[in-house]
Amino acid sequence: MPAIADINETLVRTYINRAVSDVFKTMLGREPTFSAQREQVPSTDLPPLDSHRPQVVGTVGFIGDVNGLIYLHLDLAFARVCTCHLLGMTEAELDEAGDDVINDAIGELTNMTVGSFKNGLCDSGYPCKLTIPSIVRGSNFIIEPISSASRHIYYFDCQEHRVVADILIQRDE
Amino acid sequence: MRYKVLTVDDSKTVRIIVKKAFKPYDCEILEAANGVEGLAVAAKESPDLILLDVTMPVMDGVEMLTKLKADPALKAIPVMMLTAEGGRDNVLKIAKIGVRDYLVKPFKEEVLIEKCGRIIDLKPLTDGPAKTKSIFDPADILVVEDKPAIVQQIQEGLKHTPWKVRGVATQGEAIDTCTKTPPDVVLVSLSLPEEAAFTLFRLLRTNVKTKYTPVFALVVKTETSQQQQAQTMGFSAIITKPIDAGELETKIAKAMNLDTSQRYYAIESECLVMRLPENCSAPVLAEAAHYLKPKFTEAVDAGHNKVVIDIHQLRNLHMGVIKLLFQAMQTCRELAMQFALVANQHIISECKGFEDTRGWTFYESLDEAKANLGKAGTPAPAQQLAEVA
Repeated sequence: MPAIADINETLVRTYINRAVSDVFKTMLGREPTFSAQREQVPSTDLPPLDSHRPQVVGTVGFIGDVNGLIYLHLDLAFARVCTCHLLGMTEAELDEAGDDVINDAIGELTNMTVGSFKNGLCDSGYPCKLTIPSIVRGSNFIIEPISSASRHIYYFDCQEHRVVADILIQRDE
Repeated sequence: MRYKVLTVDDSKTVRIIVKKAFKPYDCEILEAANGVEGLAVAAKESPDLILLDVTMPVMDGVEMLTKLKADPALKAIPVMMLTAEGGRDNVLKIAKIGVRDYLVKPFKEEVLIEKCGRIIDLKPLTDGPAKTKSIFDPADILVVEDKPAIVQQIQEGLKHTPWKVRGVATQGEAIDTCTKTPPDVVLVSLSLPEEAAFTLFRLLRTNVKTKYTPVFALVVKTETSQQQQAQTMGFSAIITKPIDAGELETKIAKAMNLDTSQRYYAIESECLVMRLPENCSAPVLAEAAHYLKPKFTEAVDAGHNKVVIDIHQLRNLHMGVIKLLFQAMQTCRELAMQFALVANQHIISECKGFEDTRGWTFYESLDEAKANLGKAGTPAPAQQLAEVA
């Protein structure tokens, strides 16, 4: 197995770019464009999205020869748009269906995105498996990674919305 | 037969997307949120196909698949993986347990349907309770022919129908058209280069959207080997060139299972009018005879007890027509309906030449017949029959 240190920024950027593009294009008919990145972000740094707006953050981990976690940040308005599109619902129907439906939809979008990302890692010699998705909701919060993880944050623009992929990869012991 | 498809996924979103994708097809979607539920539903419902996720709580997809394949009662159920787990080694490991197909998320609904259509015979759901389409309803006919003159002939021959005839010249264009808007009938010229007609036929039959679309072969009468090949492959009908528009129309109507009764039967001013066309070939007579009794009965049931049998368009009288007219008169007698005959002078004089038809009484116009039906002096059905018997 190659060393975890070999998973460099270029590899991570390539895989996450491909994953976000594939998922948003195939499932939502949108073409997100890569807009910016931040490397080796300190744990006390500012949150990836405007912290005062309500957010829905999907999380899926990958465990195996490489361990890590990806947070996919969407503001609530965009999360609602994505859910309606995925399920063929109107805004009114979504209101009636409740927040669980949004959580499940964003959980699945994150699952697909992280799945696509980690399939790249698997095929590069780092076999790993997905974990079950979970959701964090709220505003004005910061996710602080543990010190042994390297962190990469990528920003994607999707028309008037922004999607942020916050990637944490456990470094070699 | 209504197929059952079981979707096993912890994400309700995926289960809803699967349901949405299958909505236009005649199948029932069963749901389970993990492997344990999946096995229970599979044992109870015996689905025809299982769509299985890998990463799930309680029992994951790999464990469920392993248990399924170890159970003699369930192992034959085809399984298609539908999962974000797409690493090469993992896919190979799962494939070895025994899956029919593997679709990695993210996925397009059309791709899911196309792959499932290779495993189960998906049939499009008809809209609502069967309302039979009639010859007056619009339909879309696609002609795949590289000779524009033939396309033009077909358009000209069918221009009196509400059908829209579109022409394309190549197999590629035909596939594009069928994918975007599947036609009701496809006519393919067997003379397309490189046996493209046969390749196109195979492609249409493997596509869920066109699997049941009638496909006709257009071929020169003398090309018997091509005709045989088309018949063997299962083309819905063979249309020989030069094209007889009437024959083509009849075959298209039959292939689309259209209600063609309105060609021959109509209720006009409280009266059932049975109308025969100019040329009464054997298929035309068979078609008219097929609807005769039901249409007469339907008219009586709706309160109409008068019938005008209108053969004024008919060019020649022959035994087939005479038999059908006898049948109509007999039906009138059985249903206690009054009837009158309308014909042109030529037919009237031809009738005089046959022993059986010599005594028939005719009116020269529909209005005259309608006006006189039931009046004193109009031959009663029994009288007419007595005269013709």
